[in-house]
Amino acid sequence: MNWRGHSWLALAARLYLGWVFVYACLHKIAYPGMFALDIATYDILPLWVINLAAVTLPWVELFAGAMLIVGFRVRGASLAVAGMMVMFMVAIVIALDKGLGMACGCFASQTTEEDPISFLTVLRDSGWLFLAVYVAIFDRNAIGIDRLQKKRRNPHG
Amino acid sequence: MSAEAKKQTWFSGLGTALRDAVLITAACSVMGLLVNLFHPEKIPYIAEEEYETLVPCPEPGGEVTPLEATDPSIHAEDTFIVDARRKPEHQVWKLRDAMSIPYDYLEPIPDQTLKELIRRTQKTGARRVLVYGDGKDPDSGEQAGREISGKGIKNVFFVKGGAPALKGPEPGGGP
Repeated sequence: MNWRGHSWLALAARLYLGWVFVYACLHKIAYPGMFALDIATYDILPLWVINLAAVTLPWVELFAGAMLIVGFRVRGASLAVAGMMVMFMVAIVIALDKGLGMACGCFASQTTEEDPISFLTVLRDSGWLFLAVYVAIFDRNAIGIDRLQKKRRNPHG
Repeated sequence: MSAEAKKQTWFSGLGTALRDAVLITAACSVMGLLVNLFHPEKIPYIAEEEYETLVPCPEPGGEVTPLEATDPSIHAEDTFIVDARRKPEHQVWKLRDAMSIPYDYLEPIPDQTLKELIRRTQKTGARRVLVYGDGKDPDSGEQAGREISGKGIKNVFFVKGGAPALKGPEPGGGP
């Protein structure tokens, strides 16, 4: 639990996850209407929730991703990322179970041919979920702002 | 190593992390709602109309094998024939003693009809089910065959070109 190597492994995981989430949110922030259509295509959420989710979710992705990159409130950010991953995976599994041949909508509004959902998508998301949970559990002294703040509070620690 | 560090378990500090996660989500959500007010592509917070999502429906049913209208197995004794065209067309012309199961693109074939089909195939000792339809694109015979096959009936075939191909050229120059 206290092995120093965790911080470095977690740093690699954080930079990768952070980049994925920041990259994933850019198109959604620029075109909320298209993201709302992507959400609606999953046919899971009630109509009144769709636009609210389309407007808010990308910003959670952006800030959680950025916080992982700069190392600020890392465990909280990684839990937020893990929560989103669980949510996305449930949605994809439900869509697959319904037999919907549709695009993932994970990164941008792509066509079904370009980015179809499949169990490989679930596998990929499981990998990201694993990384987020690893960071949440083992990155106790995150390299970045968290560590600088700790040092400032306890300069002799 | 301090005593505090030794006591750490995987869930130490999880409460704080959870609190942070909730705060991040809440703060970002508020920010997203505010940004939307000034966004050049802003959308209403609550959708007013249902979204028109174009998702292909799952392909109905299972495997079905195409047969040419001239295939001799069509006229074999152990072939059970199903006519997937509409009732009026079936009444005008049908192949042998074909059973009429009009295919509806919107409604599944009723269970009662499928049970009757199974009962008749067993009674006649048929080894294959041959479906013919209107021969259009899509062909009602092929679609009905897929649905019947998907319900667990094996050896389902359809006639390429449907009833027009079976009937051959009509007098007067028609296909």
